[in-house]
Amino acid sequence: MKLRQNATTALALVAGLLFLSPVLYSIWMSFQTAQSYYRGGFEFSLGNYGTAVTKFNFARYLVNSIIVSGMVTLVGLAVSTTAAFAFARFDFKGRDLLFGITVATLMIPSHITLIPNYLTLARVGLLDTYAGLILPAISNGFAAFFLRQYIRGIPRALDEAAYMDGARPLQVLWRVIVPISRPAIFSMGLYIFLGEWNNYIWPLVAVGKEDLYTLQLGLARLYSVNPGEGLIDWPLVMAASTITILPVLFGFFLVERHLVRGITMGAVK
Amino acid sequence: MSAIALRNVRKAYHGGPTVLHDLSMAIEAGEFIVIVGPSGCGKSTLLRLIAGLERADGGDIEIGGTRANDLPPQDRDIAMIFQNYALYPHMSVRENIAFGLELRGVPKRERNARAESVAGMLQLDPYLERKPGALSGGQRQRVAMGRAMARKSSIFLMDEPLSNLDNALRIAMRTEVKELHRQLGATMVYVTHDQTEALSLADRIAVMKDGHLLQFDTPEAIYDRPAHRFVAGFLGVPPMNFLSAKAVPGYSGPEGLTIGLRPEHLSIHAGEPAANGLGVRLLLSEMTGATVILHCESAAGRITLNCARKDMPQGSDALWVNLELSHALYFDEDGKRVELS
Repeated sequence: MKLRQNATTALALVAGLLFLSPVLYSIWMSFQTAQSYYRGGFEFSLGNYGTAVTKFNFARYLVNSIIVSGMVTLVGLAVSTTAAFAFARFDFKGRDLLFGITVATLMIPSHITLIPNYLTLARVGLLDTYAGLILPAISNGFAAFFLRQYIRGIPRALDEAAYMDGARPLQVLWRVIVPISRPAIFSMGLYIFLGEWNNYIWPLVAVGKEDLYTLQLGLARLYSVNPGEGLIDWPLVMAASTITILPVLFGFFLVERHLVRGITMGAVK
Repeated sequence: MSAIALRNVRKAYHGGPTVLHDLSMAIEAGEFIVIVGPSGCGKSTLLRLIAGLERADGGDIEIGGTRANDLPPQDRDIAMIFQNYALYPHMSVRENIAFGLELRGVPKRERNARAESVAGMLQLDPYLERKPGALSGGQRQRVAMGRAMARKSSIFLMDEPLSNLDNALRIAMRTEVKELHRQLGATMVYVTHDQTEALSLADRIAVMKDGHLLQFDTPEAIYDRPAHRFVAGFLGVPPMNFLSAKAVPGYSGPEGLTIGLRPEHLSIHAGEPAANGLGVRLLLSEMTGATVILHCESAAGRITLNCARKDMPQGSDALWVNLELSHALYFDEDGKRVELS
């Protein structure tokens, strides 16, 4: 029994290391100089981080990514939670059709909406602005679908109890549905945040000003930094990548406990 | 002026059958009304219409003399206790009880004081900071009651509030509900399919079947003078016996009637009684303690009656039942009770 337990632990450890190895390798690589990397030795240096932040403006890109991904997540969650609540709880004309259309948007590849979105934003003068980066991403069919399914699983008696207690629909949403849906909302928030954090195409299309670059655009720029003929400064790229993933990891650990625990226990018999 | 008045209320669900047919009733302030009926008879729908959780398709619903058909539930000032408790799982007992007060803008200090006072009445004080998930079924039920009480509404609606509790707790809580009504003096409308609850709690009972209100009267009147065969059979344990009148000895009334006799108006004998005896064959007996419930077969139909264990005839299965026809009720072919002069 104990042997089996130890074997399982060892297997899990190996699998975990296997998954982590590219990340660990890139972090390790970020602490050496380009010269030592290409010469084949190891020379510890924090210089790549300094270069990424001072010379290539990564602090600014980081702030931009946080603003854009944060706003897309917050506003996107607000929009999709409200839509999900309406789809799950209200009978209105055309509800099922509207929900069908919402789900159908999942089948449209994002590249197809690239040009229409670009033209729309160009027409209203929102290219090269934060709003231009944020607005196209706030309607999220998948989030509305996912949250609607979750809310449908919450006993309707809880809404009704709140109405009897004197709540208005938005109070029911905010005071009852949202707290109970916290695991689903946090999961979806993480999903939206990661999607936007890693988004490369839309910022590339919508932004020309370097001041508005997100981390992904900044990272791409680094591929043109040459320590020598035909070479890429991989340690610098890895340092910038580490800057890119660390906030996400930090954020994940912050919300992790909300992701795993359902809290409807005890609501109804 | 009635606390709640329903006039010709109709309700049908989308594409489904009509669940309430022109239902009318007037409930006076301070009354304890119990609505009973089998599953699917429309009793919970009726309660939800009064609460405002469903909209009537026709008729009028008046609350406190004002037409309330178009009022949303939050504007009706009615408290409701749900069958499955419907406690907010993310809030403590204190927050659950005080939530309605918070929504009405009651200051925090007053909210807390009222939550504590209600919790004290319901012996919930030790659990004020606990979440519903950490409470037993009975405690959750009390929190649901506390939540309704804290609002000081004049009307309480209860939708099978004790149906999820075990028997002992249900009996204890039934007494608490009765006591609560006495203390608050509020109008209470209570839905149940448990006839014992109905008979023991109600000032008046409304018996429903298939969306129709069959009778609305005091428990005594419902038990002694049921207006319909269904009402007669629904209330009473064991239920009333229905016998074909033409096969009952000593009956000389019109044809086509059914005689209704409660088990307490029948007695079992080993030999033929002097009058009104009906030969029966004992099919089954159920020991319930001091008494035995006997299930017999006769020419007039199946008969169920109670018998003290000590009076139980021994030996043969061929027995006699004495019918106290002076207590008999008569029902026509449509199930309506008829008076025989």
